[in-house]
Formats: sequence, structure tokens, C-alpha cells
Amino acid sequence: MSIPTAAAPDLTAQDDQSGPPTPERGESLPARVIRALLTQRIVLLAVLLVLVVVYFMVLGATGYLTAAYDFDYLSAALINAVPLAMLGFAELFVILSGRGGIDLSVGAIVSLAGMIFGFAYGRWGWPLWLAIVITALVGAVLGLVNGLLVAYIGFPALIATLATYYAYKSLAVVINNQRPISTKPIQNLYESTARSVELPLIGSWIPNVPKGIFLFLLPTLLVVWLLLARTTYGRRVYAIGTNDIAAQWSAIGVRATRAGAYALSGLISGLVAVVTVGQFASARPDAGVSGNGMALPAITIAVLGGVAITGGIGRVSGIVLATVLIVWMNAGIRLAFEGNAGPQYQLLALGLLLVFAALLNGFALRRYGGVG
Amino acid sequence: MSIDVVARDETPASGSQPPAKRHRVLAPPVTGQEIVLICVIAVLWVILGFATPAFVSAGSIQPLLGAVAPIALIGIGMTVVIITGGIDVSVGAAIAVCSVITAKLVLVQAGLSLPVAVLISVVVGGLLGLLNGVLIAYGRVHAIIITFGTANIFLWLSLKLFNSTTVNNIPDTLAPLGNGAAGRTLGVPNSFLITVVLVAIAWIYLRHTAGGRHFYAIGGDQLAAELAGVKVRQRVLTAYLLTGLLVGLASCIVVAQGSNLGQNVGSGKELAVIAAVVIGGTSITGGRGSVLGTVLGALLVQTVASGVTQLGWRSELSDLFVGVAIIIAVGADLIRERARRKR
Repeated sequence: MSIPTAAAPDLTAQDDQSGPPTPERGESLPARVIRALLTQRIVLLAVLLVLVVVYFMVLGATGYLTAAYDFDYLSAALINAVPLAMLGFAELFVILSGRGGIDLSVGAIVSLAGMIFGFAYGRWGWPLWLAIVITALVGAVLGLVNGLLVAYIGFPALIATLATYYAYKSLAVVINNQRPISTKPIQNLYESTARSVELPLIGSWIPNVPKGIFLFLLPTLLVVWLLLARTTYGRRVYAIGTNDIAAQWSAIGVRATRAGAYALSGLISGLVAVVTVGQFASARPDAGVSGNGMALPAITIAVLGGVAITGGIGRVSGIVLATVLIVWMNAGIRLAFEGNAGPQYQLLALGLLLVFAALLNGFALRRYGGVG
Repeated sequence: MSIDVVARDETPASGSQPPAKRHRVLAPPVTGQEIVLICVIAVLWVILGFATPAFVSAGSIQPLLGAVAPIALIGIGMTVVIITGGIDVSVGAAIAVCSVITAKLVLVQAGLSLPVAVLISVVVGGLLGLLNGVLIAYGRVHAIIITFGTANIFLWLSLKLFNSTTVNNIPDTLAPLGNGAAGRTLGVPNSFLITVVLVAIAWIYLRHTAGGRHFYAIGGDQLAAELAGVKVRQRVLTAYLLTGLLVGLASCIVVAQGSNLGQNVGSGKELAVIAAVVIGGTSITGGRGSVLGTVLGALLVQTVASGVTQLGWRSELSDLFVGVAIIIAVGADLIRERARRKR
């Protein structure tokens, strides 16, 4: 067993601030563009995003869509990006931490923490800030259980979070006898989270934006970015994900760092629970696990955003772009098909996008040696 | 990396024999995990038998075995997939595709016979598995991502075929596979008998043939297997194809269980199958596992589910116990594995 000494240069290569992989000297322009598209996930996502928006706008202009696909509509659709992007961040921490990191339980945590929030705010009449703090803490504790199982006892992440997915899902249903909580204060919550508002100063020039974006998504985005790109803890997460033996030799507390990633994932899921309760105006016991659940889309977002499933590679910006791409694509599909066909084609588009992204990752890895 | 490989290839020392004298290539026929599972299931049955005498009646055990059958059948394929170091989370959606085709197109609309229906379902399942296999073996991407993607695509396909309605008035062509009197031989559900036969074949194949050992070799160390002359891609492809074929067969059993088919058929089944496999002692990192354990895992999960309802508890509580069962079963396996490495 040799101590891998290559870990240090590897780490700097994945720095959020680092530029594109240095292009080979004398590469022609088209070759450079292709290289950028394949190796820089955010470039590809940005191009896809523009294509999707232009495509649907052209469809809208020719009268093919059932309603206008304009900036107001796009802005209103962003409310769906709040839970999706936040859970994407949750998966980002966990997948980055390596050793097959994945969190299948985020949807179940959203359900269970949402019920706790329903009790605290809707039933017991706690002040809103306290209810939110408690909900986030409950989420963090639920996530920490995953972290302890994975980091300290050595469970494979897939199995540990599969088990807690079952357990939390069941508890969320049993805790209030399968009934949702939708008392007056909970119903009023819709106003303060999901409603679109006009921004001060510049508001009259741009469409109204859902409040949840400012109250939940942007603060979380900022904190997650600072944590990953500007703190020691963030560097440690990248380090253990890249090579946990090298990290161990560098005197990084691998176990604590990894357990922390799962706890953070739970914490974010707790916040998503608050958003979801506000959006539905009701604390539903199956909020995070009904249908396909929330874990699947969150993992999809992470993979699409360029997070390597093997750990150590991934950026916040990729998650944000991937979320916006999916949300605006889904918004367009909803207008292009009538009735149930819309949500169905959203599944197809999501599936194709995921397979395409995965194949592209594999190809870029072989051709250029990596995706950033 | 190298630590892992060495540890995995280390064979369990058998009892008091000095390990140097007789090097055991195969794991013992019944592993520790399986003995633990058999004991746990036996204890559960005894406890449930005392708590609710109705539990040990034929009327309760027959549907239990019938419910185990589809999970265990798909579990055979999933075990092979996981032994190679992969995973398939698209089986739930694949069940939906196979069962809606079988129920709606083959039975209700075309009114075909049982052998034809089973054949079509198996072929459809095989095609879905083939798609997964080709993408994973030749695209060389992580199995969990590809199968998440194909799961979405399969789900779209099934919803499209359902066309926003449930399938009603399914003729009882498939009754020999169902839960009724026609579906039993000597009091045992036919679906369970089929499962037992296929599990026995898979058990012998995986344990005693070169082809079967190849799957373990790939899961242990893919590169080493490749260098040793194993056709890795072909084997990986076969594993997903096999899973797809078994999904097709299992879907027939699912369709046979009622005269209606809801759009949510198969939803969550992928997790149930994976749970059965990992409870059965198959290592999620590949290279170790047995189909016998998987059947016992499926039996344990179904016993818990059936026990919870028969005790008059909320049926949702059974998920909690399934979660706990996974933790305990895999935890016990982890502890034994650690002890094995120390030796």
C-alpha cells in the first residue's frame, strides 16, 4: 500500500475557482469549443439551457403551446426550483464525501421533518423562527444517524440510507395517524413562501419572483458555496471524497467529516420540509416520498450538474444550472402537452437527460481525463 | 484499493482446521448470514404463531409465499447484478411496463393464452434488461445512474400504455400463477414453487460452474477478472439481461394476483428487492453473496409485513421494521466481516 502523493495537486485541480483544464497548445477553435462543452459541465448546461428556452419560446410564438412561455411564466416556475436545488445541495455534500456516498433518505426526511414542523408551528403554536430551527435540527439529527452508520460503523451509504428511508417514511405516516396537518397558521404560510413578489428598486423591469427563492434558496446557496469553497471543512469534504486514505494520512478526521456531510444533508432536507409545507399549505406525511419521491430527482440534479458519483468532484454552480434547466424544461413540457401527457413526458425527458449526461461523463473521462 | 481486494479474496477459515492445510475456495454451502436469517425467521414465526394463531394457518401462509415469489424471483437477478458490483434501480418501473403490456395488450385486448402471455412478458422484460445491460457494460458508466435514468424512461412508457386508466376485468388466464385455488399444487402456491426451482438452479450455477464464478470474479476485482480472461462486458450484460427476464416472469405473477391493475404497480418494488438482497448477506460492493440469502431476505421482509398487519398494527409500521431489519442484518454481516479480516 503506497501512500498516494498525488492527492495534493488533485485537490487544487478541483478548486471552484480554477480555470478550465489548460487547452493543449495549437488546438483549433472548434476543438477547444468541443473540449469546453465536454469537460466543463457548466458550459454544456448553459448551452442546453439556452437551447431549451429558445426552443420553447419559438414553439410559443408559433402558437403551439397552450399558454405563453414568457419571462413571467419562467419566473413563476422557479418556485419548483427551490426544493429541487436545495436537495441537490444535500446530495452534493453526501456524494462529494466519497466511498459511494448517496442519500436515498432525503425525501423521507422531508416528510418526517415536515410533520414535526406541522406540529411545532401548526399545533403547538410555536413562533415561526423557533419552529424552523427545530425542524432543521430534527433534519440534521436524522441525517446524522445516516452519517454515524456510514462513517463510524462502515455501512455502505446506499444500504444505510435505504434503511433509514424506510424507517423515516414509516414514522412520518404513523406520527399523526396518516393525517396531514393544515391548521390556519400553516395555510397562511403559503403567502410567505410560495407567493411571487415584485423586487424593490429593479422590480418594475423584471418579472415578479417567488419569495421562497430569497427566503430559502439564495441563503442556502450562499452558505453552501461558502462552506464548500471557502472553509476548511469544505476542503476536507473534497479531500476525503478524492482519496480517503490520503486524507487520513493528512490527519483529516475522515469519519467526522463524512458524518458531517450526512448531517448537513439532513439539515438542508429539514429546511426543504419547511418550504414544502408552505408550498402545499399543509404538512403532508407523504410529502417527500409520494410518487417517485424527492431523492430520485435530487440525485438526478446532482449527476446532471456534473457531480462525480465516485466523490470528490462537483460544484455548486453545476447544481444551480442543472436545476434551472430541469425546471424550465418541465415548465415548457407542461405547456406543450395537454392533461396527463405533460408530467409523463417530463419523466421521459428527465430519464433521457440523465442517461445522456452519464454517457457523456464516461466519454469525457476517457477522451479528456475528466469533467469539472 | 489493494486492502479491499486482499480482504475480500481471503476465504473464511473453516472452524478448527489450520487455514494453511486446506485452502477453501468456496464459501460454506450455508453461510453464517443465512443461518442467522433462518433462526430469525423461525423465531418470528413462533412468536407470531403464539400471538395470533391465525398467522400459522394455510390461509395466511399461502398469500405470504405468493407475495415473496415476485420479490425473490427478481432478487435472483438483482443478486447476480450486485455480485458483479452493479445495481439496478429500474426494476420497479420495468415491472410496471411488463405488467401493463401483459394485462392490457396481451390478456384484455388480444385474449392470448398463458404460455404466450408469459413468453411475451419475459421477452419484454428481457428487452428492458438488455437496454440497461448494453448501456452499463458498453457505456462504462455507473450502474445506479443509468438505471435511475432508464427507470424514468420505463415509467413514462408504462404510464403511456396505461393511458390514465387502470386496467380492469383482466381474464383469469394467469390463474395458475395466482393466489386462488387454481394457483396451488399440494397447497403450495405455484409461483413459490417456480421461485424455489429457479433459485436452486441459480444457486448451483453461481456456486459450482466456471460461468457462475466469473460474476464473483468481476465483483471482486474487475481488472483482475479481465486479465484472467473473463469476458467482463458480456458477463455484466448477461446479469442485467437476466434481471430483466426475471422481471418479466415476476410481472406475470403480479398480474395474476387480481383482476385489476393500478398505475402504481411496481412502485417501490426496486427498494424492496434491494432490501431482500442486502438482508440476505450479499455485499453491495460486489464479489460476495448468494441467492439463498436473498430468498430468506424476501421471506423475512414479507413475514414482518404480514405479522404487523395480523397483529392489528398500522401497516405503515412494517416499513419501520424493514428499515431496522436492514440495519441489523447488514450490521451483523459487517461485524462478522471485520472479525474475518482480523483472523
